[in-house]
Amino acid sequence: MKRFLACVAIIGFVMFGCAEKKAVAPIPQPGEVTTPSEPKEAEKPKKVPVTEQVTEQQIAKVESGDVPSKGEEISGMFKDIYFDYDKYEINESGKLVLRSVADYLTKNSAHKILIEGHCDDRGTSEYNLALGDKRAKSAKDFLLSLGVVSSRAEVISYGKEKPLCSERTEECWAKNRRAHFVILKGKK
Amino acid sequence: MNTPLIIRTRNTIHRKRGKDLCVFIPCVFLCILVFLAIYCSLCPVAEAKEYIDISSPAFKKLPIAVSEFTGSPGKEISDIIKNDLDFTGIFLCLEGNAFLENSSQPFKQENWTVIGAEAVVKGSVLGGGEKSLLASVSLYDVTEGKEIFKKEYRTEASLVRPLAHAVANDIYRHLTGEQGIFRTRIAFIGRKGGEDSLSLMDWDGHRVSDLGIKGNVLMTPRWSKDGKRLIYSSERYRQWGIYLLNFTEMTEAKVFSSKGTNIAGDFFPNADSVIFSSSIGGSPDLYMYDIATSKLTKLSSSRGIDVSPSVSPDGSQICFTSDRDGTPQIFIMDSNGYAVRRLTFQGSYNTAPSWSPKGEKIVFSGRQGGKNHIFTINPDGTGLTQLTDRGNNEDPSFSPDGRYIVFSSDRDGDRAVYIMRANGEAQKRITSKGMKAFGPRWSSN
Repeated sequence: MKRFLACVAIIGFVMFGCAEKKAVAPIPQPGEVTTPSEPKEAEKPKKVPVTEQVTEQQIAKVESGDVPSKGEEISGMFKDIYFDYDKYEINESGKLVLRSVADYLTKNSAHKILIEGHCDDRGTSEYNLALGDKRAKSAKDFLLSLGVVSSRAEVISYGKEKPLCSERTEECWAKNRRAHFVILKGKK
Repeated sequence: MNTPLIIRTRNTIHRKRGKDLCVFIPCVFLCILVFLAIYCSLCPVAEAKEYIDISSPAFKKLPIAVSEFTGSPGKEISDIIKNDLDFTGIFLCLEGNAFLENSSQPFKQENWTVIGAEAVVKGSVLGGGEKSLLASVSLYDVTEGKEIFKKEYRTEASLVRPLAHAVANDIYRHLTGEQGIFRTRIAFIGRKGGEDSLSLMDWDGHRVSDLGIKGNVLMTPRWSKDGKRLIYSSERYRQWGIYLLNFTEMTEAKVFSSKGTNIAGDFFPNADSVIFSSSIGGSPDLYMYDIATSKLTKLSSSRGIDVSPSVSPDGSQICFTSDRDGTPQIFIMDSNGYAVRRLTFQGSYNTAPSWSPKGEKIVFSGRQGGKNHIFTINPDGTGLTQLTDRGNNEDPSFSPDGRYIVFSSDRDGDRAVYIMRANGEAQKRITSKGMKAFGPRWSSN
């Protein structure tokens, strides 16, 4: 027990001692010498100063991996469908467009549909990319409910990165909150 | 002290060992304490004098005089050093026209006390020709009236700015005891003519370099903790992939891609695993991916959106954005995906969280008054602070020392990259007009 008390005493002494010194050391007081000068003398530059070679890694350009070639595409055959702000539910006019898309796919069995999800630019980039994904996915899910096979509908989100309209008005934002349809005729 | 007693009642053999331990442990403990006591008492002597305690919230700015360096390009170098020190908000950079002596004259204490300088930087470019550069720099303590640091810097002529930043780092370290960030860099996406490029620039926006990685759309560059690797998202022919750039080899590799949307993400501290958001399972969820083994582990699952994961510095926790409660909000979970709790309750649009390097703050973009602003919050939900008040501001991340924040803003028109102190002071645009720039991330070192 005596040892224990001794330990406590030493811990207290050490902590108190350290804390006190820390509190005193840093405050810069003009005209007051706060540090003993001995170590400074030892540190004092010798005749030959330290030399640092400042280097930098040369950043070469990296070539991106090869980009697959595009197949033949038809854009603009279907109207864009629109979404409410920060929402990804399909409205009634959207369902009309999607029914005509499903119809087209039934009649053109070699074609696929690509659904692009887009957002207005009021949200932040990453969240909008996920939101665009949900919008395109909602459209795809509706197509699946109409009997379209999953492999014939692809989705891609562009978030707010490919706006149709760049003004900051309600009208413009509404135009950007869209799903856009592209018919993929496949590679020739 | 109780432990040996319990052992004694159970077993007499253990009793002896217990008694030995009873003596041995306190002895070892005492030895350690004595060592610590000696070490601590030596601390203030062994360490360099700390001129300014920047960890104290009430520190006083240190008046410093950066004298124009002699030789060519001396002025450029001393101006860069001055800009570096000035932006920190820790120093009061005195105006050069008040100086009574220049870099080529010998240091006289009274010339500097009279204008209130407490530290003086002098330097000269000793030439070195067209290809190389040699600069000599001295730092003086005016109070003590002597030189406290002298060093020569040698480099290629094209590296004037890195040389100046290296000097600024040394001065900063001498006066504050902490590592400066003046040689760190910022990765960002530049957009020109509908094409994105992954780019790097110095922390002050100078020396922009295009890394050559082009994409239809590029997003979310994220540094590994050792600063040697970068992951980012790229859309290539209708598919979002997570790609990795290795700076040691300058090679790009695809980490992960699938149908749907894949968005980086962050590195775990060990750098072998990354976390990202993927809609491979139908809805954007968070996944951990082991780069070496290609093992994919689902960490979060909600019917809505889970995106923008950021790993805490110790790797134990993940903050992210989710709309599981109806609107996008910031959540925190353990890194195994358990113990999910909501962090933000104010406002209806809080996104893009990122941890501070020590883990005591999270910075994010939150909607306030119809605009997105940068906020910081403590991981326990207290201390919500709004830092910006103009334009839309997003993509925030901390500098490696936690003292600054980089973000993008449209306050002056197109999206551009800005930096500020972590308390919101000194907001400054660092990318030039005529270049759309966004998604900035401060390098880890």
